[in-house]
Amino acid sequence: MKKRLLLLAMCLVLSMGLMAGCGDDSSSSSSTSGDSTVSSSTDSSSDIPEGTVVKVGFIAPITGSNAAEGTAAANAFQMVFDELNAAGTLGYEVEVVVMDDASTAESAASAAQYLTADSDVIAISGHWNSGCAEATIPICIKAEIPLMIWGAIGDTLTSEANYPYVTRVAPTSAQENEPTVANVYELGYRNFYIVSDTTSYGTQNTATFTAEVANYSDATILGTDEVVIGTIDFSAIVAKIAASGADAVYFGGVSTEAGLLKKQMVAAGLDDVVLFGISGIASSDFVTAAGVDAAEGTISNMPGVDPTTTTLGQEFIAAYAAAGFSEPIGAFTPYAYDSAVMLIAALESIDGVPTAELMIDAIANAEGEGLLGTTTFDEIGQTTNPASYMVVCENGEWVAYSESSYAN
Amino acid sequence: MGFDMSIFLTQIPNVILLGCTYTLIAIGFSLFFGVLDVVVFCSGDIAVFGAFGVLGSYAIISTTGLADLPTGIMLVALMIIAAVLCAFLGVLTYYVSIKPFEKSSTLMPLLSTIALGIVLREGIGIFYPTGRNPQSFPELIPSGTFFSTDLFNLTYKNLFVFVVTVVMVLLLLLFLNKTRMGSSMRAVSQNKELAMMSGVNIRRTIVFTFILGGILLSIAGTLIGVHYGTMRVDWGSTFGIKGYSAAVVGGLRSTNGAIIGGMLFALIEVIVTCTNYAVFATPAAFVVVILFILLKPEGIIGEKSIEKV
Repeated sequence: MKKRLLLLAMCLVLSMGLMAGCGDDSSSSSSTSGDSTVSSSTDSSSDIPEGTVVKVGFIAPITGSNAAEGTAAANAFQMVFDELNAAGTLGYEVEVVVMDDASTAESAASAAQYLTADSDVIAISGHWNSGCAEATIPICIKAEIPLMIWGAIGDTLTSEANYPYVTRVAPTSAQENEPTVANVYELGYRNFYIVSDTTSYGTQNTATFTAEVANYSDATILGTDEVVIGTIDFSAIVAKIAASGADAVYFGGVSTEAGLLKKQMVAAGLDDVVLFGISGIASSDFVTAAGVDAAEGTISNMPGVDPTTTTLGQEFIAAYAAAGFSEPIGAFTPYAYDSAVMLIAALESIDGVPTAELMIDAIANAEGEGLLGTTTFDEIGQTTNPASYMVVCENGEWVAYSESSYAN
Repeated sequence: MGFDMSIFLTQIPNVILLGCTYTLIAIGFSLFFGVLDVVVFCSGDIAVFGAFGVLGSYAIISTTGLADLPTGIMLVALMIIAAVLCAFLGVLTYYVSIKPFEKSSTLMPLLSTIALGIVLREGIGIFYPTGRNPQSFPELIPSGTFFSTDLFNLTYKNLFVFVVTVVMVLLLLLFLNKTRMGSSMRAVSQNKELAMMSGVNIRRTIVFTFILGGILLSIAGTLIGVHYGTMRVDWGSTFGIKGYSAAVVGGLRSTNGAIIGGMLFALIEVIVTCTNYAVFATPAAFVVVILFILLKPEGIIGEKSIEKV
């Protein structure tokens, strides 16, 4: 009897451990290549021994639930450095080491440990998930290797304390939520219902969204629900949304859960309630999870500039398509690209062979011209370029709202 | 608490449907535990493997001339293919991760089935095209509503999930009670030594149980895919642990217990979600499991076992 009791208890403990996040390991290397559209002009080959290779790390969710976003980012990052190496303007080669954080803090920490243990690694660009960035920031600071965040938007990741080791090309949660609220308000929505996940990304979004809505006196939040990441059944929450009378649901999480929620909203007859969010939901995984029909009309903020409207953006889209990657360009792919541009700007400013120590100041003072326009960092390492635009899901694709049939 | 009864009433069909998905997986656990006293922890992953079997077969069939088959025939064909795949996987599970440890502690097959579950999950992630991303499940059931009240609408998909679950459970109960192999399975479950002395072929019974369990789990996976219209490779661990918990609550050896456990687990999740503390839905359900382990470890319909010392 006691043995069975013990066994049952052990099974439960083991299984909870499994649920908490088993499966994905952290090592992966990429050798994807493609054409890039960035040109480098500075020749700083003085005093550089022939055959010199320096490494930059790139950490992204290559596996796991956000694999589509992470892999597309890694592809773009690699493309920029492939172009640089092909041009040979630096006088040395820059090798990109792609590591997988699988969207879990432990895999992210393991990837950062691996990279910081390699003395050839002079800088790291990392993360789509704020929780992953939180795990690697102390590791990078301790190793004195600069970390440039390309896709995680938690407000506190860049700070006075983390500067100058940590910089970020992506916007903060506040920088994303502010235009999001303004956009849906302008579309006439006033009664909001919040559903967020319990990650640091989700709770931060709930807090910043709530604070933003408070700026509009006739807008109200009718209810707030939190769900654990990996939630599959949203039916009861959908019933609460229906009962609240909300005309718009803000989802402060990421794509798969957002897609399942939207699908179940439509199945329950809430066709006229719009789902919206910030860039975390704007990926092809959302459309897969929701289905093309249910995904229709979902609104998201998209950071940066619509790449289809700029020459550099159009060249990048063409080069990415020509490279034949299976993952479509995601919301943060341009940020990964610009992260590479900023690293190259820093490398170009260093005379001779760059080191991690030299890169810290070089990155903090870098100025790069990328897909999002001109990027520089402020006094805490945050991008000074918080551009964004509104996108809508139309026929299974995320398109600029202004270019969509909804604009009419 | 802010519990809203009117919202909860709209959720009664959802409790039953969610309970159906947990129940079939719980029955899989019960069957395996019954004949072997072993918790086969990869049961949820076998179910997801079945769902990916449907997805993969559908993708292959869609490229052939058979793509225009009536959806009903297509669905049955896909479910049969998935059932065959999972029956093989069930047998493989037994020979790879349980039989070699027959003489070891019961912890060994527990760990080896956890390991097999990870291998299955990662294997699908690696070898199925974009296997780690969510997969859209083919729309093989008409999307309309067949019954509406002020409180809720019931769709054909809801009907399919419910009817298939009920039919499978009835067939299983009929099989266990009316056939020779069913009697053998019950005999092995109650007393292996006595069953052996009565001439029951233990090995054959065990292998058959794994075939049957595999088929049931494949149907569970397919129903989950149909119900949510989506499938993701890591759902095996989510549904596996919930199915296992439902089986424990109901009584690990009892098929009826698995049904009650599945429904109870779903009920707790939905009730808590209807309060202002939705975030506690799953933890609350697991707290109930812990309470059962502490206070009634034999489960709702389990018999107290007395071990000789």
